[in-house]
This record gives sequence, structure tokens and C-alpha cells, in this order.
Amino acid sequence: MSAIETVRPPLPKKPFNPTPVWLTAWLALLWLIVVDLELSFETLLYGVDDIFEYFSRYGSPNFADLSRYVELLIQTLATALWGSALAFVVAVVLAPFAARNLTPNATVYRIARETLNFMRAMPDLLLALIFVAALGLGPLPGALALGIHTAGFLGKFFSESLERVDAGIYEAVSATGASRLQVVMYAGWPSILREALGYTLYIFDRNVRMASVLGLVGAGGIGLALHDTLRMFNYDQSAALIIVILITILVIDYLSTWIRGKLN
Amino acid sequence: MSQIIIKDVAKRYANGFNALKGVSAEIPAGSFTVILGPSGAGKSTLLRTINGLETPTSGSVQIGQQTVTHTNLREVRSQVGMVFQHFNLVDRLSVMANVLTGRLSHRSWLGSLFYLFQRGDMDIAHEALIRVGLTDKAWNRADRLSGGQQQRVGIARALAQQPRVILADEPVASLDPVTSEEIMGLLREICTRDGITVVVNLHQVELAKRFADRVIGLNDGFVVYDGPASGLDRATLSRIYNRNGDQIDEQLETMLAYA
Repeated sequence: MSAIETVRPPLPKKPFNPTPVWLTAWLALLWLIVVDLELSFETLLYGVDDIFEYFSRYGSPNFADLSRYVELLIQTLATALWGSALAFVVAVVLAPFAARNLTPNATVYRIARETLNFMRAMPDLLLALIFVAALGLGPLPGALALGIHTAGFLGKFFSESLERVDAGIYEAVSATGASRLQVVMYAGWPSILREALGYTLYIFDRNVRMASVLGLVGAGGIGLALHDTLRMFNYDQSAALIIVILITILVIDYLSTWIRGKLN
Repeated sequence: MSQIIIKDVAKRYANGFNALKGVSAEIPAGSFTVILGPSGAGKSTLLRTINGLETPTSGSVQIGQQTVTHTNLREVRSQVGMVFQHFNLVDRLSVMANVLTGRLSHRSWLGSLFYLFQRGDMDIAHEALIRVGLTDKAWNRADRLSGGQQQRVGIARALAQQPRVILADEPVASLDPVTSEEIMGLLREICTRDGITVVVNLHQVELAKRFADRVIGLNDGFVVYDGPASGLDRATLSRIYNRNGDQIDEQLETMLAYA
């Protein structure tokens, strides 16, 4: 019916689409950075030959010291494991205080949140440098550094998972007369157990990668050996070490992905 | 003796909505009370003020000899079981563990930290499962059960508290008619056999007529009916379910004719 067409209301004014403006702004910023830092893509182009020459020095890895590498590798894995365990414990204790729906009051919430933020903001390489200076060379400062830094991450992940749990479940448990701690233990953790294990595995995976590098600042493990061989221009051994590290990281990464897949 | 005394309870939410505008009622011990009313009438709010899930803006609620306050919340709640529309079980825990949460108010913080319960608690939880007929599902995960079974676990959790009062907030609103019947029957049986005071929010007038000793009708935050279930005639029902003041809704009349 034409009568219906005549009363068809006009569309409201189309809202402004800010995407082109943002895109232009970002591109301008990137270009400014190139100018400011004097990044030269020509150097990269002319240097290609040099880069290939340098990499060719790693062409003949020497595995003569493999048994020592494996020992160092185990030390690295142990550092990562202890770091992750420390992070897990700290996160489990702090997370309920940093979850808006479980925290006893606003002040405690703020303190817990900021503590986690601070731990996350401290780079583990920097923490490792500090702990090596304070505690001496070895895996302990590495584990501490990893633990503190990743506790910040795990604590944030856990608290956000705890916040996502259906409010009705917390309500039902607290309606039985349960205390706050009991609500956390019986409604909170069981509801997010799988998620929490997944995050912890991811953090362990990440810590293995980081622990191999932490040796560079003296925090033990296979990174320390790599540091030494690189310093002595011992390319054959460096190559072997890099291969060992890469294989380990790939295996751990694959394993953790597989286990996390099983969890879900 | 009155088990629950509600005195001039008003509740205004932070967003300015007045859910209750001065409600008073006395609920005798061991009775089965149904609260009826349209959505938004304040049924849930009223039920939730009884165990302190909502704090009244003014007025007071007394359970037994105790007035519900911030300081005795846990003590009051340990004597009041609650059953929810969406069951609110901890999905990942076993049926048994869910029922055992009803014993938490009797357990120390240290034991709870390690998920430890005492022999006596296990027996009470076992007994509660027998009552709701789910003993064989004790070690199943709660989320693997059907809706009706989950609601039975919810009731078992309330029973495990060995409460004086059970509050049920639309316990059958997510269930099919046959299951609803079973759940209402179970609540009625608990009331009659154990002498537990039961207060249920309902949308089904017909269920209220059959199961309740007493009906409280709420409309727009006020009590508009308080009396026996047998007093629910058409005039009363249209007063309870009336939406626009004095204007009688024809559709409403038709609906209630079948109630």
C-alpha cells in the first residue's frame, strides 16, 4: 500500500565514522618515528650480504659438549618451573583480593590490584639483574625474577576469571552462611580451575623461553653458556646451544598447547 | 510463634527503583507460604531481605528471636536455606561437594582451605541426598544433571544446612510442568515432615492454590493480599496482577479465569 510508503520514517543521520581519521593519525605517527629515529631502510637493503655472511658462521654446530648443554637445559627448565610455582602461589593468594566481587573492601582491592600491576610492570630481565647483584650468580635470582614478574600476570588473569563467575553461584554459597574465604574456596576456585591451569601452563611456557635468556645477565642456565660462547666468538658451540634451546622451546610450546587443549 | 517477622520493610535500589514500599508480614513457624505477584512487584527483593542478600532501606526483618543485621548475617544465613531459580550450583564440583557447601558455616577456615569435612557432615549430606532421591548421582559433576535434578541438589544443599527456614526464589520457573510438580511436592513434604518454614516465590497461581497454607500477594511494592490460599478468588487475583491501577485488563481476566 502506498499509504504505508508515505509514512515511512527517514533513517536517522548516519553516525560519524572515525576510522579514516585514526588510520591517518597512526600512519603519521609511524612516519614521524622513522624520521626521528633516523631509521634507514637502505642500510638494511645494502646490509643483506653482510647479514647472510654472519649467519653462515653458525653453519656447523658443534655438539661435542651436548651432555653439559642438557644439564644446563635442565637447570633452565628447573628455574622456569620454580618461577612459575612461585608466581602461582603468589597469584592464588592475591587474586581474590584483586577481584571486585570477592574483595573485602575498596582499599584492599586497590592495594592488591596495584601490587599485581607493579609486579607486572617490573621487567623480569631488570629484576634478574637486581637479584643477581643482591644474591649472586645462579638460578635462584632467575627463578625469583620470573616468579615476581609472572605473578603479576597470573594474579590479574585469576582475578578477572574470578570476576566472571556467575554472581548467583557466589550468592548461593554465601547464602549458606559461608565465610568469604569459604566462598572463594568453594565457589571461586572450582569454577575457574581449568582456566587457571591453562593460564599457569601458558606462563610456564613463557618462563621457559625467558629463562633461556635470563642466563645472559648471569641468572644461570643455558643462557649463561650461550653468553660465554658468543663472547668468545665460538660460533659452532653457539649454534649448537641455539638449536638445543629452540628444540626445547618448541617441545614445551607444543606440549603446553596440547595440554591446554585437553583442559578445555 | 512467628518464625519470620517482616516489619515495614522498604527497599529503594541505587538506581532509584522502589521495589518495596513498606511491607509487613508475620510468617508462622512450620508454615508453607507462597508469595505471588507480577514481575517487578518486589517478590524477589522481599525474599532476599529475609536472609540479608538485600538490606532494607528501612524497616526490619526478624528470624526467630534475631533481627537480621550486618553483624549476624552469617549466623542468620546458616539457619536459612535458599533455593534459586537457576539452581546456582557450582558446576565443576560433584553433587556431593555442592550439598556439603551447606555445612560450610559449621566448618573452620583451615578445614575449608583444604576441602576437608567431618564424618558427621558427610552423613548429613548423604541424608539430604536420600531425601531428594539423588544418592546414585552423588559423585557426578553438578552440570551433568538435568534441570530438575539440579534443583533437587539445590534443595539438598539447603537441607544440609539443617535450617529452620527455606526460601525458594521461583524454584520452578526454569522447569517443565511435571518436574515443577515434583519440586513443589518435595518442598511441601519437607515443610510438613521436618517442620521447616518454607517461603516460595511463584508465578503459577495454580501451584500456589494447591501447595500453600498461606498466600501473600504483592503488587508494586505493597502487600495487596495476605490470607489463606483458598481466598484466591478472581477479584483477589486481579488485584494482585493488576498493572495499571484501577483499570481492569480484559486479557488479565481471561488469563486468570484459567488459573
